[in-house]
Amino acid sequence: MPRGRRRTEFLMLIFAVAVVVFAYGSVGLGLNGKLPAGMAEYCGGFAVLILVAHFAVRRFAPWADPLMLPLATLLNGLGIVMIYRLQEVGRNGNPGSLSVPMSASATAIQLMYTAIGIAGFIGVLALIREPRVLQRYTYTFGAIGLILLAIPALLPSHISEVPGTGAKIQLAIGGFSIQPEEFAKLALAVFFAGYLVAKRDVLALAGRRFLGIDLPRARDLGPVLIAWAASLLVLVFESDIGTSALFFGLFVVMIYVATQRTSWLLIGIALFVFGSVAASRLFGHVGERFDIWLHPFTGSNPSGNAYQLVQGLYGMGYGGVLGRGLGGGQPYFTPLVQSDFIVTAFGEEIGLTGLMALLIIYGLIVQRGLRAAISTRDPFAKLLAGGLAFVLALQVFVIVGGVTRLIPLTGITTPFLSQGGSSLVASWMMIGMLMRISDTARRPPPQAIQDEGMTQVVRIG
Amino acid sequence: MNHALRRISLACLVMFVLLLINVNYLQAFQANSLADRSGNIRSFDQAYQYQRGSITTADGVTIAKSRPVKGIYKFQRYYPYGSVYAPVTGYDSLYSQSAIEQAENKLLSGTDPTLTVPNLINLITGKPQQGASVQVTINSKAQQAAYDALKAAGKSGGVVAVDPQTGAILALASYPSFNPNAYATFNGQKLDKLDAKLRHEASQPLLDRAINASYPPGSTFKIVTSSTAIGNGGYNSQTSVYAPTSLALADTTNRLINSDGEACGGGGGHVPLILAFAQSCNTVFGYIGIKLGSAALKQEAEKFGMNSSSLTIPMQVSPSNYVLAAGQALTAYSAIGQYSDTVTPLQEAMFSSAIANGGKLMKPYLVQDVKAPDLTTVQAKTDQLSQPVSANVASQIKNMMISVVQSSYGTAHAVPGILAPGLNIAGKTGTAQNGTNNTNLNDAVFTAFAPADNPTIAIGVVIKGGGYGAAAAAPIAVQVIKAYLAFLGRQ
Repeated sequence: MPRGRRRTEFLMLIFAVAVVVFAYGSVGLGLNGKLPAGMAEYCGGFAVLILVAHFAVRRFAPWADPLMLPLATLLNGLGIVMIYRLQEVGRNGNPGSLSVPMSASATAIQLMYTAIGIAGFIGVLALIREPRVLQRYTYTFGAIGLILLAIPALLPSHISEVPGTGAKIQLAIGGFSIQPEEFAKLALAVFFAGYLVAKRDVLALAGRRFLGIDLPRARDLGPVLIAWAASLLVLVFESDIGTSALFFGLFVVMIYVATQRTSWLLIGIALFVFGSVAASRLFGHVGERFDIWLHPFTGSNPSGNAYQLVQGLYGMGYGGVLGRGLGGGQPYFTPLVQSDFIVTAFGEEIGLTGLMALLIIYGLIVQRGLRAAISTRDPFAKLLAGGLAFVLALQVFVIVGGVTRLIPLTGITTPFLSQGGSSLVASWMMIGMLMRISDTARRPPPQAIQDEGMTQVVRIG
Repeated sequence: MNHALRRISLACLVMFVLLLINVNYLQAFQANSLADRSGNIRSFDQAYQYQRGSITTADGVTIAKSRPVKGIYKFQRYYPYGSVYAPVTGYDSLYSQSAIEQAENKLLSGTDPTLTVPNLINLITGKPQQGASVQVTINSKAQQAAYDALKAAGKSGGVVAVDPQTGAILALASYPSFNPNAYATFNGQKLDKLDAKLRHEASQPLLDRAINASYPPGSTFKIVTSSTAIGNGGYNSQTSVYAPTSLALADTTNRLINSDGEACGGGGGHVPLILAFAQSCNTVFGYIGIKLGSAALKQEAEKFGMNSSSLTIPMQVSPSNYVLAAGQALTAYSAIGQYSDTVTPLQEAMFSSAIANGGKLMKPYLVQDVKAPDLTTVQAKTDQLSQPVSANVASQIKNMMISVVQSSYGTAHAVPGILAPGLNIAGKTGTAQNGTNNTNLNDAVFTAFAPADNPTIAIGVVIKGGGYGAAAAAPIAVQVIKAYLAFLGRQ
C-alpha cells in the first residue's frame, strides 16, 4: 500500500526553511558583518506560512507528492533572500544603486505575496478536490484566459505598460500592479486540457501522409491556427515575445500529448519558426533582440541595447564557480536585476555551484509534475499536469536561457524568484494543481466498506 | 498518452541540460575573458574592494599605498610624494594604470596566478584578499634629490641613476611631472577630464622622460667612440691623436670645429687621446670616427644597449638609436653624438654603468622584490646585459672620464661642488645641438659614476634646452650622487 509520506515532506521542509534562514543571515553577514535586522520576524513569518501550507496538504491532499512543497519553499525562500539583498543596495551604507529603485519594504511585500501565494495554493487544494471538476468549466476557463490575456492590450498604455520596457502586460492601479498573463497561463492550460481531451480523437485522425508524416486533416488545423494567431496577437499588441512563445509552446505540447501525433509538433514548430522570423523582420523590437543575442559585444551594443544582457553576463562571470557570496557581489550594475535578471544575481553571488543547484530544483519540480502526469489515470489530469510541468520547464528555459545568452532574451519572470506578486501567486497555484493531481494519482483505491471474506471457489458439477 | 509524456520529459531534460552546460561555460570557462572585457566595471571595481599592495622604495619609504575610505569603494590609492615618484609608481585609476602600477598590476591587485594559494588560504581563513606589495630599487634620497634638482632647473628633462654593479635603478625622475593622486579619484567624469587635460598639455607631464624620451647624446657619445677606438682600433688612452682646430670633411664644405671653435690642447695638431676626451675635442673624435667607420661605431653602440626596443625595466624603455651613417661627414657627426644619434637618460646612465663596472653592462631593473601577503618574497635576480668593453678598456676610459672632472682643462672641472671631498666623480659632458639647422637651445647632457675607485652609482642626466652640459646637467648629477653617497655613508 502506498504511503502518504507527509513525514518525509515535513523533514524536507525543515531542511528547506533552514537553508533559507542561513541564506538570509548570510546576506547580512556579507553586507555589514551582522545578522540582518528583523531576521527573526521575516524567517519566523516564512516558517509559519510554510507550516500552514504543510498542514493544509496533510488535510486536503494527504497522498500528494512529498517533494514539491519543499522544492517550491526553497525557491520562494531564496527569492525572498535575494530580494532582501537587492533591497539593501544603496541602503544602510551598502554600495550601489539600482536602475529601478526598490522600496525599503520590498522584502516585507514579497513575504506578503508569499502569504497570498500560499493562500492560493491552499485554495486550489481545498476547492478542487478532484481534477476532473475543472473539466466541467473548460470553456469558462478558456474565456477567462483569453480575457485576462487581452485586458492589457486593450487598456491605455499608462495602465498596462511596464515602465521602461514597452511591454503592455500589466494592470497597474494605484501602487499595485497585476500581471494577468500569469493567471491566464493557468486558465488556458485548463482550457487546453479540457478541449483536447474532448477533441483528441478527431485531431488524431490522419489526413494525408507526406514525407513519412501523418498530416492532420486541413479542417482540423483550426484550433492550432487560432492558438498561433492568439499568441502572435499577444506578441504584436503587448510586445511580449516571451509570453507569446510560452503560450504557443504550451498549446503545441498539449496537443501533441493528447494526440500522440508527431505531425502536430512539427507543424507547431514550423509555425513558431515562421512566426518569429516574420516578426523579427516586421517588428523592430524583435529584430533587435536577435541582434543583441548574436552580437552583444559589438559596436555600441555593450553600452546600448545589450547593456542589460552584458551586465548580467559580467555579473555571472564575476561570480565564477563559487560566487562572491551573498551580499558580496555587485548585482546592482544589471538593470532590472530584481525581476527578469534575478538569476544573474544568483549566479554572481552563489556562483555556478549555487545556480546549478537552483536549476536542478526547477528540474526536480518539473520531473515530479511529469511523474504525476504519467501516473494519474484520468486523461484530463494527465494532460493538465503534463502541460503545467512543461510550461514551467519552458519558462525557466526561456528566461534563464535568455539571460545567459543561450537563446535570444525575452523578458518573462523567473518562477518563484523574481520580485512581484502575480508570478509568485500563479506559481503557487500551479504547485497546488500539480499536488492535487499527484494526490489523485497516488491515492489508494477506496477500501471495501466491509471485509467480506475470501471469495469462495465452488466447484460445480 | 504516457508515451508522449515520456518524450516531453526527455525534451524538458534536454532543456535543463542545455541550461546547465551553458552556465558552466559562462561561469567556469568564460569568466576570465568576460573579466578582461573593457566595459566590465565589475572587474575594476573589484580592485577597490580589496587592499591593493603598496609600493615601497629600497630604503623602505612607502610611495604608494591603498587607504581605507568610506563609500562604495573600500580603498583609495594614495601617493604620499605625489609627482616626485610619478615616473616610478605611475597611477592607478578606475580605467587604467601606468608604470609600476600597470606593469605589476596583477601582483599588486592580488589576481596574479602565483597568489592563488595565499588567496585561497585567505578565503578559507576569512581574511580579506590583499595584493602583494612591491619593493622598487629606488633610493628615496637619490630620487628626491633628482626631482628637486630637475624642478629647480625648471626645464624639461630626465634623470636616471643605477647601481653599476647590479643594474638596480636608484633614481628615475622626470620633469615636468604630474600628481598621480589626481588619478585616484572615483569620479569617472572628473577622471576623464583630468586625463584629457594632461594628455593635451604642451609640457607633456605624463611623458616619462627618463625612459621614454630620447635626446641627442652630444659629446657623451665619445665614450662609445673611445671604446671602439681603444677596444678595436689599436688606440690607448695615451695615443697621440690628430687634433686640428677644424677638420675638413670629404663630402661637405662645412668644417667640423670644436666647441666655440677653440683649439684642441695647445693647438699643436696632436694631443694624447685622454686630453682630447677631457677637453671634448670634436675634431679628434670626428676624425677617429671616420677612421673606425660607422659600422664599427654602430656595433659598439649596440653593445652599450642602443638600437634595442626590447628593454623593459619592467616598463618598456624607448630605444636609443645609432643610425648607420653614410659618408665621412655624417660618420664624423655620428661619432660625436650628433647626426641621428638619440639616447634616453637611462641610456646615458648605462654608458657610465658599463665603464664603472669593469666593462660589464648590467640589465637595469626597477623591481627589487615582491612580497605576497603571506610574506613570501620573490627576489629580483640581476642579469648581465652585455660586455661592451673589456676590463682593461673600461679602466682606460674610466681614467679619461676622471680627467674630465679632475684635470684643470676638463670640461666638468668647474662644475660647482663636483670636486667635493669623497665624491670622486668620473663623467662626461655633452652639449647637443638640435633642431632644424641647430637653431634650438642646446640640450645639456651629463653621464657620470662615483666614487671612481669603487663605483656605487652611475647616472645619466638630460636637460632639454639646458645649454652646456657642464652648466645645466652636471650640477644635477652632482647633487644626486652627493645625496646617494651620503645615504651610503650613513649606513
